[in-house]
Amino acid sequence: MIEFKNVSKIYETGTEAVHDATFTIDKGEFAFLVGTSGSGKSTLIKLILKEEEATKGNIIINSKDITFLKAKRIPYLRRSMGVVFQDFRLLPDKTVYENVAFAMYIVKATPKHIRRNVPMVLSLVGLSNKARCYPNELSGGEQQRVALARALVNNPSMIIADEPTGNLDPETAWEIMNLLNEINARGTTVVMATHAKDIVNKMKKRVIQIDKGIIVRDDKKGGY
Amino acid sequence: MRYNGFSYLIGEGFSNIFKNKKSTIISIMTMICTMFLFGIFFAIGVNVNSVLEQVQLKQGMQVFIWDETTEEQKQKLETEIKALDGVNTVVFKTKQEALDTFKTMMKDKEKFLEAYEGENNIFPASFVVTLTNLEKNTEVQDEIRRIGAKIATEGRNQEVDLQIEESTQHDSIIKEITNSDVVIPTLIKIVKGIRITIGVIFIVLLIISITIISNTIKLTVHARRKEISIMKYVGATNGFIRWPFIIEGIIIGVIAAVITLLIVGLLYDFVIQTVESSEVLQKINITLLGFTEIAKTISIVYAVLGIGIGIIGSTMSMKKYLEV
Repeated sequence: MIEFKNVSKIYETGTEAVHDATFTIDKGEFAFLVGTSGSGKSTLIKLILKEEEATKGNIIINSKDITFLKAKRIPYLRRSMGVVFQDFRLLPDKTVYENVAFAMYIVKATPKHIRRNVPMVLSLVGLSNKARCYPNELSGGEQQRVALARALVNNPSMIIADEPTGNLDPETAWEIMNLLNEINARGTTVVMATHAKDIVNKMKKRVIQIDKGIIVRDDKKGGY
Repeated sequence: MRYNGFSYLIGEGFSNIFKNKKSTIISIMTMICTMFLFGIFFAIGVNVNSVLEQVQLKQGMQVFIWDETTEEQKQKLETEIKALDGVNTVVFKTKQEALDTFKTMMKDKEKFLEAYEGENNIFPASFVVTLTNLEKNTEVQDEIRRIGAKIATEGRNQEVDLQIEESTQHDSIIKEITNSDVVIPTLIKIVKGIRITIGVIFIVLLIISITIISNTIKLTVHARRKEISIMKYVGATNGFIRWPFIIEGIIIGVIAAVITLLIVGLLYDFVIQTVESSEVLQKINITLLGFTEIAKTISIVYAVLGIGIGIIGSTMSMKKYLEV
């Protein structure tokens, strides 16, 4: 599903954020990317999203080598994955419903399809009653659930989450984690960058640890 | 028809207009200001141009003919001059008319001229020729000379046997061609100068308009850069992100164009009415264009400007933010 082959990323400033990273995340897996801030986990996420280009090595996603993907094709790559960020990144002038529907308009879904799928995914994240609210009327946890709904609505094969619980209190964070677990149980691959120790420890999932750009640990069922 | 989501993009463009009222109003105001300036100069430009054309059409030459010229020859000359490229009008001025003109010029000394009445009229008849294009002045003059000579020769061939006195034989039926050699070249220079000046002003105004408006759009795009980056993360293509902005630009352009057209129209009519009732213009017999005459062109110019600047401005100013 996601394969890194000897990937290095050196920024224009000269810092080597990732050094010779090699790992494979299979379909249906749940993998944590852990490490301190500045360790290179954000860069890994950016490389998967093709926000940054790898300096060396190859990145293969869904059996496609995206190392030399043309800029024009990037939107189509991103549609195969649902993305969730620490800061939610919802469109402020659109309602919850519109924010989720927006992701479907992008893939040119028919209005009929949109009317069917959006309420479905909103009920999955437990926000059916907030469909008409605007993001600023919601709590952080609710906003992140909208972001999750948006990530899920087009049935992606994987969810990429960059510190999704970073801005949430522990209790709300667990709500999100339970949702992610549920999504994973349905067969969707989940890759989550985090430095929330207790979450990683309790979930008992695969842990890929990165330190100063080097992958130092890759445990099948590890802790932080 | 396959559903391609375009109606969604159009809807987005419209809703952006209402969601960002402040920037919409600012954009419309900016556009009205620049378009207003543009419109004023456009109105001045077309009027100056039309006045220049009217002045040019009044310029021309006087072709004097020998008294011996026959009626037939005169007619031939007239039709051939009329057929020349660049000739606007040809008017025949009889000997009597020439004398009368001179009389009015001499006003109080009319009595001295009485001696020249009738048989004694020394003033030659002439054709007053005006041109459509002053630059053809010399060319037309040469042609008329050639025609005059040709007609004279044709006549002689027929009349050889009639043994007409040598002294009454002329090489051409044309005695003289006069025109203001000083006025015409100067006029040509002035017309060229004014046209170039108007052209330059237009280009400068166009550049200013595009700069100001694309700056305004840049500000709105900058204000929405976060929105744009979110769209990119969710997998939107550049076209998908750009279209609502372009449609927004077009709508703003059209609204601004309509408002400006109204303002310029009202102002224009008022100014024209004031100017046209002035004595000077009436005396030199020059008319200005009514708004209905320029409305069509100015509407097209505004539509092209509004829509064009909307599209170019939003496309240019978005480029930077689409590279995520």
